[in-house]
Amino acid sequence: MKILAIDTSCDETSVAITQGQKVISNVLFSQIKIHAPFGGVFPSLAKREHLTKIKPAVSLALKRAGLIINKIEAIAVTFGPGLPPALEVGVNFAKALSQKYQRPLIPVDHLEGHIYSGITLNQMGKPKRQFRFPLLALIVSGGHTQLVLMNNHINYKVVGQTLDDACGEALDKAGRLMGLGYPGGPIIERLAKSGNINQYSLPIPMLQHQSLDFSFSGLKTAFKRLIYSLDEKQKLEAIPDLCASFQQAVFTSLLIKLEKAIKQFQPKLIVVGGGVSANKELRKQLRTLLAKKIPVYFPPLKKLTGDNAAMIGVVAYFKYQKGIYLTHSETLDRLPRTNLDNYIN
Amino acid sequence: MKIVKLTKKNLTSVIKQAKHYLEKDGLVVFPSDTVYGLAANALSKTAIQKLYQFKDRPVNQSVAIAVANLNSAKQYFRINTVQQSLLETLLPGPFTVVLESRHKAITQLEAEDQTLGMRIPDYFFTKALSQSIDSPYTATSANLHNKGPHYSITALLNSLSYKKKQLLDLIIDYGSLPHNQPSTIINLTGNKIAMLRQGDYLFKPVLNQKVISVEQTQLLAKQLLEKYLDQADNKALVMILQGDLGTGKTVFTQGLGHHLGINNIVSPTYVVYYEYLTQNPLIKKLHHFDLYQLESPEDFEPLAIDKLLIPNNLLVFEWGEKLGSIFSLIKNRNTLIILIKINELTRNSREFAVYQLS
Repeated sequence: MKILAIDTSCDETSVAITQGQKVISNVLFSQIKIHAPFGGVFPSLAKREHLTKIKPAVSLALKRAGLIINKIEAIAVTFGPGLPPALEVGVNFAKALSQKYQRPLIPVDHLEGHIYSGITLNQMGKPKRQFRFPLLALIVSGGHTQLVLMNNHINYKVVGQTLDDACGEALDKAGRLMGLGYPGGPIIERLAKSGNINQYSLPIPMLQHQSLDFSFSGLKTAFKRLIYSLDEKQKLEAIPDLCASFQQAVFTSLLIKLEKAIKQFQPKLIVVGGGVSANKELRKQLRTLLAKKIPVYFPPLKKLTGDNAAMIGVVAYFKYQKGIYLTHSETLDRLPRTNLDNYIN
Repeated sequence: MKIVKLTKKNLTSVIKQAKHYLEKDGLVVFPSDTVYGLAANALSKTAIQKLYQFKDRPVNQSVAIAVANLNSAKQYFRINTVQQSLLETLLPGPFTVVLESRHKAITQLEAEDQTLGMRIPDYFFTKALSQSIDSPYTATSANLHNKGPHYSITALLNSLSYKKKQLLDLIIDYGSLPHNQPSTIINLTGNKIAMLRQGDYLFKPVLNQKVISVEQTQLLAKQLLEKYLDQADNKALVMILQGDLGTGKTVFTQGLGHHLGINNIVSPTYVVYYEYLTQNPLIKKLHHFDLYQLESPEDFEPLAIDKLLIPNNLLVFEWGEKLGSIFSLIKNRNTLIILIKINELTRNSREFAVYQLS
């Protein structure tokens, strides 16, 4: 089944063609953060012209897949969570396509996408990936931090989530506090390699807390106080150590909660998705934690870690199998703050 | 249009040809550490005009330039000591760094805010090219505006019309490039956004209160909301929060939310704003903004804030000091504006100073 999927949840206009778990094409027009073209448009919200980009993105996705639109069997779209005016562009365009070509419309939650990004396959059906339930998903991105338990496809229970900032947001803000520009995540990852994680002791968020929830705002405040206590010269010399210490505090918090969740739910598979899952150090530490006892899947390409429509198309396939789609697409509206718990079926 | 195949052996002669065409204001397609790039002499107006003509790029969109090393970068960019030390660690590498321009390269390449992108790629070909020519060259991807980048010359040529091909002078074919991601953009320049200055408007002090816990902060939020709730039926309620990172702006907003029956408020930094439906008859929607990421006045436009300034709406702005450029718009609508300044006293105590625009 060939699905055309659209995601405009934030600042990337993405359109993909998928078939089952396979990604046939995945077009990403973006401005901010890490995927911008070589010497391309510089970060600015004003240039988030989803409206002008969505048509060329659809055409290019079809062209790369070597398909005409009549061959598409269903339309999928992210309806939340995200920036309201941005979501609206994708939802309206998807509705129009679904009506014009009389195809079912499959609404997808952006976070379902991040979970399924770990099981996407390329056109050849590689890498080999198999579902096992119960499955525990860790979503780590600029906008979200969640632990989600699944006992079957499209069946979610949010068992832990951030109470304030997302982990990627914490890394970005730490980057800014050190004067490293934006986005902070990838820069901190690089600088942390030459730093000492034990040089500064930072509080590990929610360490004593029994729940599986996360919180990064206290760590952010502690880090700010540390930075402000250093003079400009000290700070400059300490940047690699500061990066390493902060990044480790964030990761330790993630690892501790994941370990706790594993004990509680005995999952047979772990999947990790979201922009921060591109971090090699995090991947290494997760692999060490799981020590081959439980398989762990990461998105197979860096492009699939961030916001993209391919993962939306893959989720849509499983939703369609379960009969979750709209034949009268007028009823769909964007929902800027969705909750995975609401989709239990 | 001339196509040469680059091999392990003919690097010197290919570089010589590239140099020849660049010096004659020509356009050269070259392989890089990311995708196929398009080079034009960044000091020649003729060459740059030709580049924009090829790319169909709106003239106001910026293009990064590649330089040989940090020393030569200093001719074209303003680099302070902090930036210098950071750049030494990051470069050469797959990064495009946005810096203040010295306006020595053709200024059309700059962004509207007069910044310019810099690349120092870590790649044998670009290194050799930079060493052989004196001027910087453009480091933009060899694709048309709003089209994806190319990893092979065949793919590039297939996407071009005859007319476009005629604009290219030399194509250096190094076969199919590994599908590396395009470069990461890092912005090292400060904000260009207008700040809201309290002194420009008549704000009347309402209260000044010290809090020593999250609970007290949220109680204060509840009290303030109750105080102004009645007026929300005929005005949009706007709360502008000012305070450093980690002073409790989101905590305060969560307190407002609890009172309206919303318990899932998180930081909206990443998406700029979230909206919530409430259970309250006087305030039906809460729009929770975080302006932290916004960098220029144009950033407000797609948010369509004016459409939200209607009765029964509560708009909360974290980093509200960035509202400078659109503050008169908010003020001139039917709104009640509350300014809340949060000052960090100690690790756990905060001072809240509340003002109302009269």
